[in-house]
Amino acid sequence: MHMLSTALLALRSLSAGIWVIVALVVVSFVALSFSSRERTASLEMWMFSPEHLAMYDPVLEDREAADELDLHVSLMSIAALKSRMMSGFFGGLDTADLIEVERATVGQAFMGPVDAIGFRDLTSRLRDEGLLDTFNPPSLSPWSVDGRVFGLPHDVHPVMLAYRADLVEAAGIDLQQATTWQEFFALLQPVMTDADGDGKPDRYALSMWVTQQDNIELLLMQGGGALFAADGSPTVDSARNAALLAEIVSWCAGPNRVVTDVDEFSAAGHQDRINGVAIAYLCPDWMCSVWRMHVPQIGGKMKLMPLPAFEPGGRRTSVRGGTMLGFPRTSKNFDRAWEIAMLLYNSPEIARTLYKEVDIITPVQSLWSDPVYDEPDPFFMGQAKGRMFIELAPDVPVRTSSPYNQNAVLEFRDAAVNLLNWANTNGVDEPDALREQAQQLLHIAQKNVARQMARNVFTGVE
Amino acid sequence: MTSNNAKRTRVAWVLLTPFLALFVVFMVYPLVQSAFLAANQTFGPGTRTFVGERNFALLIEDPLFWKSIRNTIVYALGSLLIQLPMAFGLALALNSRHLRGRALYRLLFFSPQLMGLVFVSILGALAFEKRAGLINQALHWASSYSLLSWTTPSGGWLEYAWLQEHVMATLILISLWLYVGFNMIYFLAALQNVDQSLIEAAEIDGANARAKLFHVVLPSIRPVATFVVLLSMIGSLQLFELPYVLLDGNGGPNNQGLTIVMYLYQSGFELGDLGYASAIGWALAIMLIGLAFIQIRMMRREEASS
Amino acid sequence: MSQPRFRIRILALHAFLLGLALLVLVPFTWMFIASLKSQEDFFSGMFFPPGDGAFGIAWDKLTWGNYKELFNLGFERAFLNSVFYSSTSAVFATLFAAATGYVLAKIDFRGRKFLTVLVLSALVIPPTLLIAPSYELLYRLGMLDTAWGLLLPTLSPTFGAFLFRQAVKQSVPDELLEAARIDGCSELSIFFVVVLPLVRPMIGAFMLITFLGMWNNFISPQIVLQSEAKQPLSVAIAQLRGVYRTDYGLLMAATVVSVAPVALLFLMLQKQFISGLTSGAVKG
Repeated sequence: MHMLSTALLALRSLSAGIWVIVALVVVSFVALSFSSRERTASLEMWMFSPEHLAMYDPVLEDREAADELDLHVSLMSIAALKSRMMSGFFGGLDTADLIEVERATVGQAFMGPVDAIGFRDLTSRLRDEGLLDTFNPPSLSPWSVDGRVFGLPHDVHPVMLAYRADLVEAAGIDLQQATTWQEFFALLQPVMTDADGDGKPDRYALSMWVTQQDNIELLLMQGGGALFAADGSPTVDSARNAALLAEIVSWCAGPNRVVTDVDEFSAAGHQDRINGVAIAYLCPDWMCSVWRMHVPQIGGKMKLMPLPAFEPGGRRTSVRGGTMLGFPRTSKNFDRAWEIAMLLYNSPEIARTLYKEVDIITPVQSLWSDPVYDEPDPFFMGQAKGRMFIELAPDVPVRTSSPYNQNAVLEFRDAAVNLLNWANTNGVDEPDALREQAQQLLHIAQKNVARQMARNVFTGVE
Repeated sequence: MTSNNAKRTRVAWVLLTPFLALFVVFMVYPLVQSAFLAANQTFGPGTRTFVGERNFALLIEDPLFWKSIRNTIVYALGSLLIQLPMAFGLALALNSRHLRGRALYRLLFFSPQLMGLVFVSILGALAFEKRAGLINQALHWASSYSLLSWTTPSGGWLEYAWLQEHVMATLILISLWLYVGFNMIYFLAALQNVDQSLIEAAEIDGANARAKLFHVVLPSIRPVATFVVLLSMIGSLQLFELPYVLLDGNGGPNNQGLTIVMYLYQSGFELGDLGYASAIGWALAIMLIGLAFIQIRMMRREEASS
Repeated sequence: MSQPRFRIRILALHAFLLGLALLVLVPFTWMFIASLKSQEDFFSGMFFPPGDGAFGIAWDKLTWGNYKELFNLGFERAFLNSVFYSSTSAVFATLFAAATGYVLAKIDFRGRKFLTVLVLSALVIPPTLLIAPSYELLYRLGMLDTAWGLLLPTLSPTFGAFLFRQAVKQSVPDELLEAARIDGCSELSIFFVVVLPLVRPMIGAFMLITFLGMWNNFISPQIVLQSEAKQPLSVAIAQLRGVYRTDYGLLMAATVVSVAPVALLFLMLQKQFISGLTSGAVKG
């Protein structure tokens, strides 16, 4: 006892800061142990899209009230979802029963041996329930490895061109006539004036830049380029890819460039959109809802049209992004999770909400006859936006599920960035003059991708 | 006496046990394990295949790895060569005995250091944004005065794409804000430890300010200066959070912002290859240990010569 | 030196230092003001939204709404986690390091030399080398996604053992230990009653260093912790940026909340903190 008091007396001489920290240990420990434990729902779902969540919420709440569906949804950023999902898969930890995964993220899950993929193989279940053929065929491709399907497609995500009709029509231009990119840029030339005299146009024809890998990939696929062959081997340096790269970069090059980079998701970018810094935007169906949520100021000023093609008669759409619903293998509630999946992904009501709330076209073909898609949309000056997207849906390019796709996309983007630098240094802005350099840069990209792939001893791809 | 000694030894071990147990488990074991891991390819910690020295062979031919090394060294040298002279200059200014409010200045300059790198990155990501960011707005405003108009880049300051095209410059600028005050603290402590009698002796000899600086002050703070250089190098070479958060988890266009530790993180925790990550870790460790070695030798030589 | 010239030089120095201090403070100010701006007003004015109020500022447009929103998002949980991880790590790492430093400095026993060399040579091992194998180890121990997995590896700081060994050597005289022994103090209580109070500046400094290190640590919790309820501020805020990247006001409010409390704590204790930082480099 005496010892103890001496010790306490001695320790009292320690400074206050030390005791503050010791007190914090106790206080935070107590607070954490008493703070409400996380609600332990019987089913857990992870998603990254606040838009999707806003749409599911009413439906799920109805269900929860009606038949005691006990689902907890966690919303997190794509980066967070990626790291938490992969650390769960790698560490054999519980993740969730359902995970909505974005395409750029899912590749990592497909990186190891096929048997070590963290998601459940859905192929037989889909076949047994006769669901395999109901989906828009190109929309299954990003989620299939060796012919086995690992996720339900959430969307088709066809791409159109959205433009500031108010500005274009005020200039007396009928942009809908443009069937090729060349015609498009030619038509918009009069709008790209320099009224404030600062030496550069006040508005650019299109928002797109070499640093925006999603848009670069989108344009590449529209033009019939491909980063991987059907067997999974890389085809980054194909002649077609080089020609497309040269053309796309030529838009960004030189003093007469016709495109600019309006940031796609930041508040700063939204401000630029309101100011009309760019006339036209590459617009996948989901982008409409992003704009309605964050830039309502441009509502009623925009119009949609199919993408201008790279050549006369070429493809008038592309695809960007995409989400699948996957079922981690650690989940013990697959059947209950499947029920929810069917509710969210396969019902006419949800398909309708999906469109009404977040402008997304369902990949389930039989639901395309719904009249909701024919309703005029005031945001786009009364156009029947849904029908326009659906008409393009079957033309959406088939995509690879290669785990190295993101890798290849980034390499391709870097080739674009470097080609642009080269073009500006050498004062070249014609596609033909850029072709050879494009080809060379893509050779390097191809080598880098092949090297990355060769490093992996688990997937036997050359 | 022997029983006393035995008791003392027993208590020594009691006091050592928590530290040593954790040290062995979380330091020695992983260190040994990292050598084994480096000879494997893994897919997460659960799946692995022995690949021998292949990881190192691949590493040597891996352009991304060399790019990450180059970036990291550019950052380290860039921030060092600007940071340390500024820090030293500030310390000299603050060391003036006649200056009032030294403590407050010291505190103000040091304050950014209290902000963790992640939090600085969040702030930086917004501040260095194109058009709307604080930095570009301020530069745009400043260069609108004709006196400063010559500083305007061709596209105007508002369009200056820090995070897309000038990643290294951005990182170095942020590191200046963060670390100049921090390094200044060390220099200041060293300056205050300089033997006053040496300075007085020099003054009696009629030395001017410059001579005092070069012949008295600089030589006597050399050990601290070497320490600061080493500390900054070690810190810079392990740069991770800043580019990771600023560039949304990847290296940015052309991997301009890819650092060694970021590449290690990507390889090990995004692609799941802990073996390759360990190999990168070893490469970095060798660089760092080499640096420390050089410093120790320099110190030794100094001690021998003095 | 003549008096007026000297005066002018000091004034010039002040002007220079003040300007620099202003430059250092601007980001903080911007951050704080931005955290009070709603999303609509974010782009009006570089700092304050312009309006009719005093100084031409629309004071009524400033709002605490972003901070309330953080609370709605459950950010206080991350805050609590950060406090817990940082303080626990600080207290135990300091205790263990002090004990080790004391033993290595003052108690003679077989194997001391070996242990000293072992611990001190670990100083050169860069922590990044251990990231991958530690993760693998935590996986094997079943400690991934637990507070143990995050905390235990931080509790045997070799740098701390080194600092305390120095501190004990400098400020604990052998005679005092002998006197305590003669007074009948047990060996264990000597450590707590005699040694710890004598090295208290180092205790304060090292605790603060560890606390701040853990508070600002990003890579370990990012790798080790997986569930949302366990994440500290550093990880939570990076993820917040992912979801709410257009909501600048909210992000800035989150940054203020993450930085201000510790910054204040450390401003109060800066003397110890700084002396601890420099004690490794500057002798005396």
